[in-house]
Amino acid sequence: MPENRGAPRAPHLSSAWLALGVLAVAAPWLVASVAPAQQRYVVHVLIFTALFAALALSYDLVVGHVGSLSLAHPAFFGVGAYTAAILSTRAGWPFVADLLAGVLLAGVVATLAGVPLFRLVEHTFAVGTLAFAVVAWIVATNWVEVTRGPLCITGIPKPSLGLPGGSRLAITTLPAYYWLALGALAVVALLYHAMTTFRLGRALHAVRDNEPLAAAAGIDPLKYRMLAFVVGGALAGGIGALYAHYLSVFCPEEMTVALTVNLLVIVFLGGVGSLRGVLVGALLFTALPEVLRLAPTWRLVIYGGLLLVIVIRSPEGIESLLRRPAGARGGR
Amino acid sequence: MTPLLEIRGLVKRFLGVTAVEAVDLTVEPGELVSLIGPNGSGKTTLFNCVTGYLAADGGRVLFRGRDVTNAAPHRIMRQGLGRTFQQVSVFGRLTALENLLVFLQQHQEENLLARLLRTPRLRRLEGQAVERARSLLDLVGLAAKADAPAGSLSYGQRKLLAFAAALMPDPDLLLLDEPAAAVSPTMINQMKDHILALHRQGKTVLLVEHNMDVVMDISRRIVVLDHGQKIAEGPPDAIRRDPKVIEAYFGR
Repeated sequence: MPENRGAPRAPHLSSAWLALGVLAVAAPWLVASVAPAQQRYVVHVLIFTALFAALALSYDLVVGHVGSLSLAHPAFFGVGAYTAAILSTRAGWPFVADLLAGVLLAGVVATLAGVPLFRLVEHTFAVGTLAFAVVAWIVATNWVEVTRGPLCITGIPKPSLGLPGGSRLAITTLPAYYWLALGALAVVALLYHAMTTFRLGRALHAVRDNEPLAAAAGIDPLKYRMLAFVVGGALAGGIGALYAHYLSVFCPEEMTVALTVNLLVIVFLGGVGSLRGVLVGALLFTALPEVLRLAPTWRLVIYGGLLLVIVIRSPEGIESLLRRPAGARGGR
Repeated sequence: MTPLLEIRGLVKRFLGVTAVEAVDLTVEPGELVSLIGPNGSGKTTLFNCVTGYLAADGGRVLFRGRDVTNAAPHRIMRQGLGRTFQQVSVFGRLTALENLLVFLQQHQEENLLARLLRTPRLRRLEGQAVERARSLLDLVGLAAKADAPAGSLSYGQRKLLAFAAALMPDPDLLLLDEPAAAVSPTMINQMKDHILALHRQGKTVLLVEHNMDVVMDISRRIVVLDHGQKIAEGPPDAIRRDPKVIEAYFGR
């Protein structure tokens, strides 16, 4: 975990993040110059990668930093997506307003769900949150008057941002949407970093490591579990809204347990509780299945095999391979 | 003068078994009191009721004259109580230094936004906290381990770390649950010295201890529990000769 204790950060660290940022921003042009014929497809995969990275970070706040194995994330993702989809198609709300409504409503739902769910602990909490996610999916499928059920909500407009001076910037091209998704990822990553380091992060980690001792330190464990759960849920709602606007269609199948499995793979095989680990996980496990499409017959076999190899060779996640050797970690 | 801690008629039952039966106990400021008794006599249960980890079935707990009976542990702790646990208890994935910092920060700032934005005031407090944590690590001989994850420390080191952590917010009353259990004789002496030093600085300490030698050496007043009831109270010499205490420990 990169930690910043008031001292200026090591220059090589921030310059590495800067280089990564520049590379990420320039990606559409790089792709265009290297493989112009494939640009649309590659940028599409990059958009998915950015959205999944942001979603996985919001998930890791709960799973990695307060150690509550929530399986409810698809519900909040779905609440945000449906809120944005319905408000933009039926009520004609502008993009920014329906996005914020999605964030807010997902946060409210997470608060209402969290109060009873956090009366459960460990495995019962996991099962309770799983049940909640399944119920949310069933509601989305059957509440046809609102969600149109299996017919899906279609025709969700492309986002357009109001600019100072009254003009509007419509996000219509793929690279433009990629930059929007990248911006969302940056916002989520900054919030993630601020919440998981310094005093706030320390309180979350104390609750994760030893709840009775955290209480002895004057920490209210429930408050910090709820904080991570509600902020994580609200961010998931925002990502859901962006996802719905990007695909212009949103169906109940997008919020099934399969999404949780994807997130678990990204977070645990990338590196649970680590910004870098989750980003690497998202890049690898969103892009990899796409790359493997080159060998369609063996795709899932190769993917499954790779997952097994990672689990066996690096049980703490890929991030643990990136860490400096133990002796060099004294100064972090 | 109001006593620092006052326990009145505390009762705790587990499925019909009475673990603590109408115990009264008073601790005055600056005292070093020991709570002893054979295994299963209800010492730790009493401790857990006082600190809010177990809900009492009857009686009252007053801290500085304020009723804290059955309040949530974190609320009781913030009023100036510190405790350690019988089972060694640290935050395994935090470093030794961070383990101590956690214990002070909650007493200083609750505002989430301020912590998210790392206001200059918080940065200054953090600097002071790091200084205090380093001096406490130095006190218990763990200065060299400041940046090691607490989970990687030895049993004895973790015990010392937990002790230092409890001191971090400078609590008015320190409750120590068997600080000398399961550690080497050298460390028992070290612990004794630390506790005596705290007492000399005027700190109030309530000690639960199984090891008679430790208790007899350092306490001025001893309370003896047996089967959840208080059977004796007094200075070490009187306790040593008390027939009821001898019976509880060695049988008739």
